[in-house]
Amino acid sequence: MVSRQENNTQRIAAMDEEAARLRLKPGMGIADARAMHPGIEVIAEDAEADRRLLEALADWCDRYTPLVALDGVEGLFLDVTGCVHLFGGEKAMLAGMLERFSEQGFRVRAGLASTPGAAWAAARFSATGTILQEGDERSFLENLPLAALRIEARTISGLESVGLRAIGMILTAPRAPLARRFGSLLLLRLDQALGEIEESISPRLPVAALSVERHLAEPIGLVEDIERLLLLLSGSLRRDLERRGEGARVFELLLFRVDGAVSRISVGSSLPLREAGPVGRLFHERLAALGTTLEPGYGFDLVRLSAFETARLDMPQADLAGAGSTQGEDIVLFADRVRARLGTASVLQPHLAQSHVPERASLLVLFDGGAGPRQPPTVHNPERPLRLFARPEPIEVPLTEVPEGPPRNFRWRRSVHRVARAEGPERISPEWWLTSVPDVEADETEMDKDEREAKREAAQKEAVAIETARMTRDYFRVEDSEGHRFWLYREGLYGRQEVVPRWYLQGVSA
Amino acid sequence: MASSAVARETIVSLRHQIAKIEGRLAETFDGEHGDVHLRRQDGLPQGDFLATGAERFDAALGGGLPGAGLTEIHATGMRDAGAAAGFVMGLVHLLVERTSSPLLWVGLSESFREAGYPYPPGIRFLHGIDPSRLLIAQAQKLNDALWIAEQAASIDGFAAILLETRGPSAHLDLTATRRLHRRALDAGRPLFLLRQMAVCEPTAAPFRMVITSAPAGTRYLLGKPLARSIGPPAFLVRITKNRINPPSEFILEWNAHAHAFHERTAADPVVVVPASQHRATAAAAPGTILAFSSPAGSTPAGGQPSGEQHPAHRGHG
Repeated sequence: MVSRQENNTQRIAAMDEEAARLRLKPGMGIADARAMHPGIEVIAEDAEADRRLLEALADWCDRYTPLVALDGVEGLFLDVTGCVHLFGGEKAMLAGMLERFSEQGFRVRAGLASTPGAAWAAARFSATGTILQEGDERSFLENLPLAALRIEARTISGLESVGLRAIGMILTAPRAPLARRFGSLLLLRLDQALGEIEESISPRLPVAALSVERHLAEPIGLVEDIERLLLLLSGSLRRDLERRGEGARVFELLLFRVDGAVSRISVGSSLPLREAGPVGRLFHERLAALGTTLEPGYGFDLVRLSAFETARLDMPQADLAGAGSTQGEDIVLFADRVRARLGTASVLQPHLAQSHVPERASLLVLFDGGAGPRQPPTVHNPERPLRLFARPEPIEVPLTEVPEGPPRNFRWRRSVHRVARAEGPERISPEWWLTSVPDVEADETEMDKDEREAKREAAQKEAVAIETARMTRDYFRVEDSEGHRFWLYREGLYGRQEVVPRWYLQGVSA
Repeated sequence: MASSAVARETIVSLRHQIAKIEGRLAETFDGEHGDVHLRRQDGLPQGDFLATGAERFDAALGGGLPGAGLTEIHATGMRDAGAAAGFVMGLVHLLVERTSSPLLWVGLSESFREAGYPYPPGIRFLHGIDPSRLLIAQAQKLNDALWIAEQAASIDGFAAILLETRGPSAHLDLTATRRLHRRALDAGRPLFLLRQMAVCEPTAAPFRMVITSAPAGTRYLLGKPLARSIGPPAFLVRITKNRINPPSEFILEWNAHAHAFHERTAADPVVVVPASQHRATAAAAPGTILAFSSPAGSTPAGGQPSGEQHPAHRGHG
């Protein structure tokens, strides 16, 4: 049995049939249960693991319908509208589902009805595998206890205290007093179960715009087989996308393993895709990157390819030689493949920003297909180093010729460089419009209000000046005695602050 | 006689095999066409050369850098990575001018972290390559970087590919470089293998150059050299593997305004001289750089006399 911590006591959260035969009940204290039956086995509840298991089951149920919702901590809703004929009718589908669950070692109860409320009740309060035809909800619910209505325990006990024990009794009772006394939720649940108010389940995963799948009589496990099947699937997906005049930017491959595990592999592209070839290549890279982490086990018996984020895609017209302007697209596809294999951070492109601070002026951003906003033409083309370090590296400068001048020599990465020539300084001030103004408290001892304000302003100006001086950099281009050219700077000005300015090496030049 | 004929035949067949491996006609071995270098069409493509503008350098490469295939470029120390990148970007500039295709710089995260990330504004200033034409790919492992470079070489769209690696590696052997070389040859575009701190191992690249920083030239103000200024960057380029000519070395300067290489020779006016005689001591010596080309092997690393040595050399300038 499983125990749960509740109000400082260990209580029984769930138990198996054998424990039930011992006349133990959920909610009973573990201490009491142990006193009755010292031999019972107690396991602490792990809600997180339960949830993971339920989500794995929900993943597996994706094979029946894309609309799977979690119901609390112990149930799943499947909206099988329009999917039933694929599995040979309602009866066959439900029987097959129950059989597969039992093969996986789960004991499940299932009910099928035309409303979520009635199905919920059917799954819990009647023989498993009950199928309610549309219109039978009222007669089915009439004889069930109030607990079949998905309402709070407090409401149930309230209703029972006034003698209403079955749903049938509420159905015939006048509605207005019920609503007044027990809240509108009761009537809402009732109407939902009867189908008078539409209720929709909220699927836990976004529903694909298009998806194609293939059930396999013989499970497959080899990556080559998966790729071959993938080409077939993307071929039929292409036809559907073509009919809609669209392409998709995200493709997801779902591999349903025989024993119930589901692998999701998704690839993204910068441009909408439709052709089977590029989609197959993207998945090829992704599968290669996954390598052995994709465990086929006993094989996959259902493979589904879904397309998300569809967008309009017009085929560019090729010239007579058959060569369209595909140069840019080649690069985009190449970048997509690299990213599918090595992660999104593997392809970068420079982005120039309107800033004079070197590390802000040019950023390496993730490649986005290249068709970003046109970067403004730059009139100002300052002399900069070829390579810039990710962050400026501190250097030791023992001596400068003059306080504000370039260093005589410096130590960088444990070796001393003697400066042969230096050019500079190029002073780069901080972007004061991006930093906040330091807060300066007014001097409360000053009596005159104007005087106080003037003093405060002066103090603030001084604080801003010190802050600016602290952040100001003087850049020098230096060449050491061996001919290496470096770009280094001194942060801070002499004489304006207590701390000694520090030196950094930011880049190397050709 | 019969045995000598057999021996001769063996030698000829061996020569043909060597020539096939090296990608040129066997006749060049015989010495009959001593100064004519015939190249097989699928070896080094005839006619597609990148003339750098430095005549002696181009001649040593047999007309210029091959416009397709692998070229190996070494930076001996981590500190020379900037110089090597500057030199390669100079070569790339010659290509980028022809097309509008972008350039791919593939590197290891480690090499970028250690030697610095490419800084597009610097590349724009020095080489005139627009930042929007630069694409950077980084990988954690050398195998992945090699894979990116191979894939990039086989698609049609990049003007040039730069693969930067760091340290010696067993993965970058003859087989791997031959794959890269073949792909780049088939695609008809150059692939520069930029290796930091690696030892010179056998590779399939027809040329191997070792780049070291050399003291820069000076700036000119009103036609006169400006003392102690840092002008066009200079590189000491040692061609250590060359199938056509014996190994040689050059000091090349990159002119950022003309976007061209110049060779710095003793007679060249680019040579830095002291701005004036009476300032010679003050300018110490650091500013006074005397460049000269000396026979291979006798030049110290950097190829330049240090400041202390300067007075002894001033007479030459």
